[in-house]
Parts: sequence; structure tokens; C-alpha cells
Amino acid sequence: MNFYYLEESTLSNLNRIFLSGEIPFLRLSKFLEGDAVEVNPNQETKEKIGFYRRKVGPAVLDEVWKSPEFTDFLKKITGLNLGFRKSNNFSYSGGDYSLLHAEELEKKRVVVAYDFTKSWRYEWGGHDMYSSPGKDPLICSRDFGSLMIVKLEQGDLSCTRYTSLMAKSEVQLDQIIYDIK
Amino acid sequence: MRKAKQIPKVKKNPFPYVIVNDFLDSNTLDLVIDALAGLEYDFKESDLFSYWSSIDLTDIDHPAINILRDDLGDSSWREKVAASFGSKKLSSIDMAAYVYGLGDFLLPHDDQVEGRVIAYSLHLTPEITKKTGGSLNVFNASKEGKSELIESIIPKFNSLILFEVSNRSWHQVSEIMEDIQRLTVTGWYHS
Repeated sequence: MNFYYLEESTLSNLNRIFLSGEIPFLRLSKFLEGDAVEVNPNQETKEKIGFYRRKVGPAVLDEVWKSPEFTDFLKKITGLNLGFRKSNNFSYSGGDYSLLHAEELEKKRVVVAYDFTKSWRYEWGGHDMYSSPGKDPLICSRDFGSLMIVKLEQGDLSCTRYTSLMAKSEVQLDQIIYDIK
Repeated sequence: MRKAKQIPKVKKNPFPYVIVNDFLDSNTLDLVIDALAGLEYDFKESDLFSYWSSIDLTDIDHPAINILRDDLGDSSWREKVAASFGSKKLSSIDMAAYVYGLGDFLLPHDDQVEGRVIAYSLHLTPEITKKTGGSLNVFNASKEGKSELIESIIPKFNSLILFEVSNRSWHQVSEIMEDIQRLTVTGWYHS
């Protein structure tokens, strides 16, 4: 991890920023140090028409997301008592999508997304969307190496928007869900 | 005025649909396209779609739009549509115009909303090809939700596409890949 995010003063600031958002969120760029992570997911195409089409595999950094150290870091910056629920790696190629209503039955949770997407252009879509009734949606464009942390209540939704057929790369992310205890 | 007098035989796979070519006569077509070109369109986007849409045209009073509304929704045409699909009596239509430009799309959905019986779209762009995008793709969906593309309909200029709305009517507008404007008048026949 980028050591900057582990300093006490940073942790305290991050907690303050997290709590200030209409939809509480943090975006931590250059979260991991170096470029050592190789994305080699064992993926399978999954489709539920009208809900999603994407490739799914085990999270590339599964061990990191499950580790007590990372969970402790999350607790410090969110101020929440969190329990790991699941992690996956998702890929979205041209024509792939997920829709917000695919999460209709979700409980309150913290969603963490680590972005492996390289050489991306905004007009290709593929950004993450977080939606909460009565609030402006939160749009998170692709940014290699950034970690997104979002608190969602029951009824809040998230998705990865349609990826253009013109895209010359693919969206690649680990997504991890933590239950709020 | 309508040029088309009859509706061809409805195809059944993956769900009932039919294409009526040469729907309007050339004079009406010119008037309608001029009228639609004079409307304002608002950009709309969500997780499901990206396009430009007009105001609701169902009730506005405009000479050319009034003619179009009659051509699409007068009682004799509604009876023909209902007879072709073997549906219950169709009482009314709604309508709006949509423009899809470069990068716009409408992802797979089934159109199901209470009261909608038959969906329609009147296609008013001459230059749509496989390469430009903007086809109307119709899917079969398995119980698990896996889709199978059954047909990619490249809409002909002045064609009217009709299909029955049900939990099987999965369709999408494919992404526009070139700098064209895909113009349609779209809506539903209601029970």
C-alpha cells in the first residue's frame, strides 16, 4: 500500500472527507505502490439479460481484501465496523454492462473497487455509478490504480455503465463488498 | 396519409413482430420529417440508455404531427394491428421522437409497463447500415437470462416496426458507431 495512506494524520483526514459526502465515498489514487500486480483472472462470461453482461472471476487481490490489515484500514477511514462478504474481479469489454436495478435486494454495505483499467478514454463509458434516492448520482470514471470506497444504504444501487463497442481496451476491476455490522 | 394498406404476416420468433415497409406516402413523410426537425430534443442518459428525446407528442396540436398520429393510431389501423397480433382491442397510442447520435444506445429491455400491448417505431433515417449501428436487435432469453441474438434488424427508411410487449420481448438499439442521426417516432398501443 502507498505509505501515505497509512499515516495517522492522513487516516484522520480521510475519515472526515468520507463522512462529508452526500453519498459517503473516498477515492484514493495510486493506492498500491509500484506496478507489480498482474491481472490474470480466471474469468467466465456471465449474463442476465436486462441486468448485466460481463466477465467474472476471483478477485486478483483477494488475499489483500480479506486481510485483517486492510479491514482495519477500512474501519479507520470509514469509522464503520465492517465484515468482509465477497470479492470478485469483473471485466467489461465493448458491449458489456451492468444496470442499477441488479442490486435491488442489497442491504447497507461498503463497496470497494480497485481499478486495473489501463489506457482508457472517457467517451468509452464503462464508469462506475452509485445511486441513492433523492441524491445526485456519484460517477467514478476509470483511473488505473485508484481505490474507490463507497457507503451504500439499503435501496442504494451501483453499476458499471455500458462499455462502448469502440473501446480499444477493457474495464478491469476488483470489487469487494463489506457488510456494515 | 398512410401508404401501407396492409400489415404483413407477423413473425413469431423470438416474439411476435412485423415490419411494415413504406408506411407513409412521400408528401406526409416530408411534412413529418420537417416537423420533427423543428422540435427541441433533450439529451437523456441513464444506466440503460443514451439518446435525445422530444417532448411527448401524444397530445400536441401540430398539423403534421396530427396527421402522423392519425396514421399510426386511427381506429382502422388500430384494428389492423390488433388483428395481426391477435391481441385485445387497442384503445390509444402514445408517441415521442428520439434521436440517437454517435455513441448513443439503448440496452436490452422488454418494454413491459402496465397497459402497453404493442410497441412501434417508425424509422426516418435513410442511411442506417450494419456499419453505422442503430439496428434493432431482438433476443431470445433463456430462463437463466442468457441472451441469443435472433435478428439484427437494420431499419429501412419509412418502415414501421411493431412488436408485442411481453416478458419475452427483449430488444435493444445497438450503439451508433458513425456520425449519423437515427430518428424515430416511437411509442405503444395501449389496451
